[in-house]
Amino acid sequence: MQTEIKHTWFYNQPPEEVWKYLTKAELIAQWLMGNDFEPVMGHDFKFCTKPIPSLGLDGIFYCKVLEIVPFKKLTYSWKGGPGNGAITLDTVVIWTLEPKDNGTELQLVHSGYNEENISIFSSMDNGWLKNIQKIDELLNRNNNANTNA
Amino acid sequence: MPTPMLDAFQVIADPSRRQMLQLLTKDSLAINALAENFDMSRPAVSKHIKILYTAGFISIQDIGRERYCILKQDGFKELQCWINNFDKFWVSKLKKLETILNNKAK
Repeated sequence: MQTEIKHTWFYNQPPEEVWKYLTKAELIAQWLMGNDFEPVMGHDFKFCTKPIPSLGLDGIFYCKVLEIVPFKKLTYSWKGGPGNGAITLDTVVIWTLEPKDNGTELQLVHSGYNEENISIFSSMDNGWLKNIQKIDELLNRNNNANTNA
Repeated sequence: MPTPMLDAFQVIADPSRRQMLQLLTKDSLAINALAENFDMSRPAVSKHIKILYTAGFISIQDIGRERYCILKQDGFKELQCWINNFDKFWVSKLKKLETILNNKAK
């Protein structure tokens, strides 16, 4: 069962360059979302996008910088919900940068999709769960194909 | 009292409902038997069961004189679907970053 989202992506630019796009608010906004990020431990910030009603999200993600190792690693919490301060999504985003082949291998791990939910998933051994796993494998295969392209 | 329409994550956000689902992963249970595991009023238990039912996490079947709660995949599918949505979200963003970085280099 999928308990986290994981992607590895290769960029032709060195880690210092990719790092800028992960840690400078105006550069993050160019590819991810509007934000008030600052590369400071414990800094609270927000990502803002359009509301996504189908996912029960009001489009604001409340984040906090948890770990910062320049040019190597950046971790922040990532929380969201339907509005009025209700949090239904409580996750963590981890970025890892690795210099490779004159470029950068960037790894994204988005985890913590409510550990308790996951334990419900994993304790089930009904046939339908296997079907979901199959779908999941297929989706992952597609995603990995994209990721490694 | 109308049952509130909750999304899958809100449904599971409640510890009692999580515990109910966990109990039901072991075996289907009659509502009475399920209720015995909780230190709350019968109407409170019924309310949680209704929420789980409405969100597609369980089905309810009459067997003999008892009403049984049985796990149902729909609610869980929604959770999975949700994760998959986010997965796609990140792939599109990572691609966008690649485009921006490459264009800048030109």
